[in-house]
Amino acid sequence: MTDHITIDQTPALPPEKPRLTAGSWVRQNLFSSVRSGILTVIFGVFSFFAFKVLVNTMFENPDRDWLAVKTNLRLYAAFAYPITQFVRVWVALGLVLALLGLSLGIWRSASAVAARTIASRLIASGLTVLAGTLLVGPPVLRDEAGEPVYDETFEALRGTWRSGLEQRTGWFLLAFALVAAGVALWFGLGSRRNTLTVPTTLVVWIASGVVIGSTWVVRYGHYGLDPEGVPVGDPDSLVAMSTRMPWTVMWLLVAVAYQLGRFVSRWNSSRLLITAAWFLAPFIAFWVILRDPAIDYGHVWSTDLPMFLGFGVLGGLLLFLLADPKIGELGRFIAFLLVVVAALTFVSGFYGWFSMLQKARISFCLLALFALMANNFAGDRQTRLRFAGAWVLLIGIAHYFITLMNSPSTLELRADSFLGGFLFTMFAALFGLMFSFPLGVLLALARTSTLPIFRLLATWFIEFVRGVPFITVLFFFDIMLPLFLPAGMEAPDMAATVLGLVLFSSAYLAENVRGGLQSVRRGQYEAADAIGLTGAQRTSLIVLPQALRVSIPPLVGQAITTYKETSLFAIIGVFDFLRVANYVVPNQSTPVNFIGHKLEGLIFVSFVYWLGSITMSKYSQNLESKMGVGER
Amino acid sequence: MTDTSVADTDRLSGNKDMIVCEGVNKWFGDFQALKGVTATIKEQEVVVVLGPSGSGKSTWIRCINRLEAHQGGTIIVDGVELSNDLRNIEKIRSEVGMVFQQFNLFPHLTVRDNVTLAPIWVRKRPRAEAEQLAMDLLERVGIPEQADKYPGQLSGGQQQRVAIARSLAMEPRVMLFDEPTSALDPEMIKEVLDVMKDLARGGMTMMVVTHEMGFAREVADRIIFMESGEIVESGTPEHFFTNPTEERTKLFLSQIL
Repeated sequence: MTDHITIDQTPALPPEKPRLTAGSWVRQNLFSSVRSGILTVIFGVFSFFAFKVLVNTMFENPDRDWLAVKTNLRLYAAFAYPITQFVRVWVALGLVLALLGLSLGIWRSASAVAARTIASRLIASGLTVLAGTLLVGPPVLRDEAGEPVYDETFEALRGTWRSGLEQRTGWFLLAFALVAAGVALWFGLGSRRNTLTVPTTLVVWIASGVVIGSTWVVRYGHYGLDPEGVPVGDPDSLVAMSTRMPWTVMWLLVAVAYQLGRFVSRWNSSRLLITAAWFLAPFIAFWVILRDPAIDYGHVWSTDLPMFLGFGVLGGLLLFLLADPKIGELGRFIAFLLVVVAALTFVSGFYGWFSMLQKARISFCLLALFALMANNFAGDRQTRLRFAGAWVLLIGIAHYFITLMNSPSTLELRADSFLGGFLFTMFAALFGLMFSFPLGVLLALARTSTLPIFRLLATWFIEFVRGVPFITVLFFFDIMLPLFLPAGMEAPDMAATVLGLVLFSSAYLAENVRGGLQSVRRGQYEAADAIGLTGAQRTSLIVLPQALRVSIPPLVGQAITTYKETSLFAIIGVFDFLRVANYVVPNQSTPVNFIGHKLEGLIFVSFVYWLGSITMSKYSQNLESKMGVGER
Repeated sequence: MTDTSVADTDRLSGNKDMIVCEGVNKWFGDFQALKGVTATIKEQEVVVVLGPSGSGKSTWIRCINRLEAHQGGTIIVDGVELSNDLRNIEKIRSEVGMVFQQFNLFPHLTVRDNVTLAPIWVRKRPRAEAEQLAMDLLERVGIPEQADKYPGQLSGGQQQRVAIARSLAMEPRVMLFDEPTSALDPEMIKEVLDVMKDLARGGMTMMVVTHEMGFAREVADRIIFMESGEIVESGTPEHFFTNPTEERTKLFLSQIL
């Protein structure tokens, strides 16, 4: 009798939300009353015409020439970076993407998209493309030279709708592919479309895979055309053809890094290591893109290596002793002494009392910092050894990079004149944000500190920076900073202005973090005190995690603002992404005349900026729900 | 004022002094919250502090681990005097556990991490050892199965028990309770009081500010009654509930019993 009794082992799912049929959805949301019906019709008609005007302006206008964008994709990507050295850009990009993949794998996001949503989005976007293709007017007639033909009233002469539809086969195919994929997903899954979810990370990865994969099939653009309109170089030198392989490698790299990240996430230290790697990344990227260091090995053996050994071994020994839990007051005194020594090395350098390598000064600063932290890492022998080991590792990496940076480059190129485009925008935004976040947190802590001197300095700094337009800060760093630097040291415009960006956005971030700090209740401080945490432990373990969680939305808002503010670099002469569209391409007369073609580039640039911003904003929404902001 | 220094029971007579308060004063602006509070608490003694609201009971025990700074008199905990010297404050805080009315658990950490935080960061214990200790303590307060949940997912009574476990993880010599059951729903008060009774039986030195008369009567070695920042009367529960000497005590008891 029991054979037809099946026991459902799966946990009970929450009851499904009742879904409206399409008809009743329209009735309830669009035409629920006479007034809402009228508003729906008015704004529906308005949206229709707005869309129609937009696509017609963008695509079928005698003044539009999308060749301006297609031909100059490389300028948009990296401005005038030498073609022969492009592999450096790919290596730097690969580094960042690998770190991204690792981070995504380590901090796995639980967010997922319902299959139903994916299917309906695919169908909707397919229908939008179809509508746009149909709504664009007939193509403009052109003579043999490619110039539009006008009648006597200067109306552009147009071909027939039929010829237009024939020319737009590609767009029809795209629309069809999107709708077909959506419909296939919808009906292929049947009733499972309501329950099946796909991780967001996977969706984004597959979508970018489709775009990258399409470069193997579709010809998106070319490096340039000679005056006859023939692609420069051999006929296969299409952009898609020279970038499709690197992009495919990048795409696979992200997936490999993601899996690796998932694997290493079981170790606690992986989070710390990946964070450290992120902070090293800008220097590596800088070195990869702009440097080909000719290392002087004589100097390495005579100075660099002994110095590393000295700081590594003696410093490690000192820190091992300082991390002894029984050392007590003596430890604090030695740490304080080291801070004085570190400060003295800079002061003496400034007045020229005695000369010392910059590397030694930086090492003293780091050593003082570690000595101050030693108490927090005190423990048994193994813990202390690990602390000393971390020091040796850090000082090794620091010395290595300082040596690389100090070595003359065999690439005889000045960064300012040839680096630009999206490459610069991306790196400036990414690394600017990366450094302004910790600085912003420090400023917020200083402003809420009980020590009046910190409070005063932080308040003055924040209020001053917030009271000044960003352009002023840029001009200041562009023009004034070189005057403050010691003789013989020069900061490239770019480094100077990224520094300005870091300081500027850190002031705003600080105010956002301060809001979060104020939301942490008094009781949390008291509980931390009552269990005996030190002030630094209280801040880093109890207060900051809660404060940052609350400030995610404003912090991401500020991150998006900073990302877009990099476009202001154009004003001080950096050829950033926007300036390429606004200035470089519209002034191009050879090999093809693109003079005056500004709008195409601006539309393209806005689209790319939008893509970055929407990604950040969606990610922050996920982060918020993951961390449970607003629910305690 | 009656004698506040003598606990009558035999079991405490040979014990050393754990907390000594001498003429402790505390002002909030012009308002004097504590007026020369003098009392001695012996090791293993359980003292319940009673009094109407605003009488300074909470202020007093918050002074003992320096959540509030006292402005006159001396407080000596386990032979260490509380002063502005950070070292003494750190030392005393690591000897004195505190349980709050609002629990004050760390909402971003799991129950287990709440309990292991102090052993790992203050006592510098290896993580595995601290986690073992945490599980033992959670066992002791009766909620080992909640170790991986977040405080927000627990009931008030469970949260307060976690808070007690968190304080015990420091292996304190004194436990201070600041109205531990006042924020709880009635049906959860008992589970917290049971844990506190266990602690008292285990020989922990405890100072408890509470309104739970049943607890005071059953567990306390001594009851201290405060009003307007002063100690009015101090004695055994028997003495306090059946035969109070001061008028103000009688008035208070007539209002609550």
